[in-house]
Amino acid sequence: MTAETLPATSTLAAILIDGVVRGAVYALVALGYTMVYGVLGMINFAHGEVFMIGMFACVYAIGAMSVGWGDHLVLNLFVGTLVAMVFSAAYGYANERIAYRRLRKAHVLAPLTSAIGVSTFLQYFIFLTVSKQNVNFPRYYSDWLTNSHLHLVFFDVTYLQIAIVVVTLVIMAALFYFINMTRMGIALRATAQDQLMAGLVGIPVNRVIAFTFILGSALAAIAGVMVAMYYDVLGFDAGYRVGLKAFTAAILGGIGNVPGAVLGALIVGVSESLTTYWYGSEWSDVTTFVVLMLVLLLRPRGLLGERVADKV
Amino acid sequence: MRFSSRFALAAIGTSLLLLAGCGKKEATDINIGLAGAQSGSDAQIGISMLNGSRVAIDEWNAKGGVLGKKINPIVFDDEGKSDKAVTVAQTLVDDGVVAVIGHFNSGCTIPASGVYNDAKIIEISPGSTNPKYTEQNFPYAFRICGRDDAQGSVAAAFLRDTLKLDKIAILDDKTSYGEGIADEVKKNFEAKGGQVAMIQGIGKDEHDFRANIDVIKGSGAQALFWGGMYGQGGPLYVQMHQAGLTIPFVSDDGAFDQAMIDTVGANAANIYVTFGKDYHGMPGADAFIKKYNDTFHQAEGAYSVYGYDAANVLFTAMTKAGTTDPDKVAAVMKGQPFDTILGQIEFNEKGDVKQSGYVIWTIKDGKFQVLTGNP
Repeated sequence: MTAETLPATSTLAAILIDGVVRGAVYALVALGYTMVYGVLGMINFAHGEVFMIGMFACVYAIGAMSVGWGDHLVLNLFVGTLVAMVFSAAYGYANERIAYRRLRKAHVLAPLTSAIGVSTFLQYFIFLTVSKQNVNFPRYYSDWLTNSHLHLVFFDVTYLQIAIVVVTLVIMAALFYFINMTRMGIALRATAQDQLMAGLVGIPVNRVIAFTFILGSALAAIAGVMVAMYYDVLGFDAGYRVGLKAFTAAILGGIGNVPGAVLGALIVGVSESLTTYWYGSEWSDVTTFVVLMLVLLLRPRGLLGERVADKV
Repeated sequence: MRFSSRFALAAIGTSLLLLAGCGKKEATDINIGLAGAQSGSDAQIGISMLNGSRVAIDEWNAKGGVLGKKINPIVFDDEGKSDKAVTVAQTLVDDGVVAVIGHFNSGCTIPASGVYNDAKIIEISPGSTNPKYTEQNFPYAFRICGRDDAQGSVAAAFLRDTLKLDKIAILDDKTSYGEGIADEVKKNFEAKGGQVAMIQGIGKDEHDFRANIDVIKGSGAQALFWGGMYGQGGPLYVQMHQAGLTIPFVSDDGAFDQAMIDTVGANAANIYVTFGKDYHGMPGADAFIKKYNDTFHQAEGAYSVYGYDAANVLFTAMTKAGTTDPDKVAAVMKGQPFDTILGQIEFNEKGDVKQSGYVIWTIKDGKFQVLTGNP
């Protein structure tokens, strides 16, 4: 029953690792914020809710499948994630089609307000129709990832933590490649620069923008599934806190910039974790926003956001 | 044509609303407010508490009501949030309630109690344990549960005297309730010569406890006390075990809910929570539990019996006072003992129950059971 005190280096190493994973969680959501901003110059506040809908879709799909054809671990988890992606993508597309498209040429505050409205609407829609209470992620499907450890010298990490960080980096790299190297990516960048001109040269602007929302929302669903496993619980307000942190991270890294979102998120995650170690978790929100303010004072467009000048 | 039919609809709707408004102000009813968390992370425990009161109201109404009048419950959800609780309190006052059963969270009961006190409305909370609530010396504030100073000292004695630990860590959810009980445990544990290696707070909407767990691990604490609710306590326990930290997990009455067991699993070991005494087998308990299960088609919650007792005490006092006048009802409540499922209880001058016994419970065979003997 007695636990021997671990050496301080070991605790610090564990704090840093957990901070990186926490940051990776924020990064998965921050990528969605930053993509939409990069193309449309608007902040899609409903993105956190799309992420939350992905969580619920996965858990309910898994529940239905285990009743329907039994507990097949990998299969159900895989299909559950696909279902989550489809649901989130559908909601993301619907948001764009219903709440944002008509406002594209309106004043910049109009789609922003609309996004806040959609965010509140989706939260209470899920609250009233799906679950007023927190729901547990089915542990049968997460235990193999959360209870398996990889022992390294000073610390150990769970498979899920490794998976979260790896998936974050892979998605970041894939997005970077997609935006900079592919045909669709070129269309995306052209649309971001000038929608009218892009339309004149034959780029289907509406389709490109819809695709951005669908892609960002599907990524949010993957994030949702992994975070639901990592936190063990999900609720109708799950998107709010993570969304706020992810948004902060995207600003910190330079909104509109894909690697910037990940860098910003990692900084937020590690600084929260270190604050818990040095001062206690009650201070973690304070340090996050102090870091944000300091960075914005020195680099008003965020750490990696250099070419946003023509955006607003 | 179209316009006129719409207009007619609106006119009908308005008149219906007016009629409903009239129904509410029926002079033959006694309006009783039922307030507590019915949504959000504390929904399960809050709803089951109010459902307990509903059973009592149904019973009294079946017997002909109180003072010959029907009891009309007016139910509001405070979402477990302080600001919302004050709005709910003001609405209940405007609706003309003569007494309120609620709220659940201390962070709601305390700010709401000021509103009720100004309006001279009796408030009886079945589940708010923060001492501050009755320490305000409001003449109309009562509670049927115990207080955190008592609860904290039982938890600290368990950690120090029963488990014989020297060093513990404390984490709380930064609410009036969680921080209140955490401070009581710290105070009592240190008074017994123990050492609190770490005390930290974490936001109520946070579910990633890994960094805190690292700090707890590094501090060499032999046990963790969680000051907060089951909604976070469950994931905290699960994440501790994932990180290989299996020290005793001690918590408070807020962790005493079936949802806690659903999260941690039926075989979870080393969980101890403080809660009131076991009422199973007490006179009236079985009948109540059966009625509750039949009415709501689910098992009763931790605070269902407290909600039931609170309502019964209130209606008994009104009957004995022969009026709903708050001064007279409060005088009756403070003047004599009441028979409840939890045994005979008496209120002191502050509105606290004189007989409140906290005991240690643990999870065994998939449910909470009183801990017997040393763990």
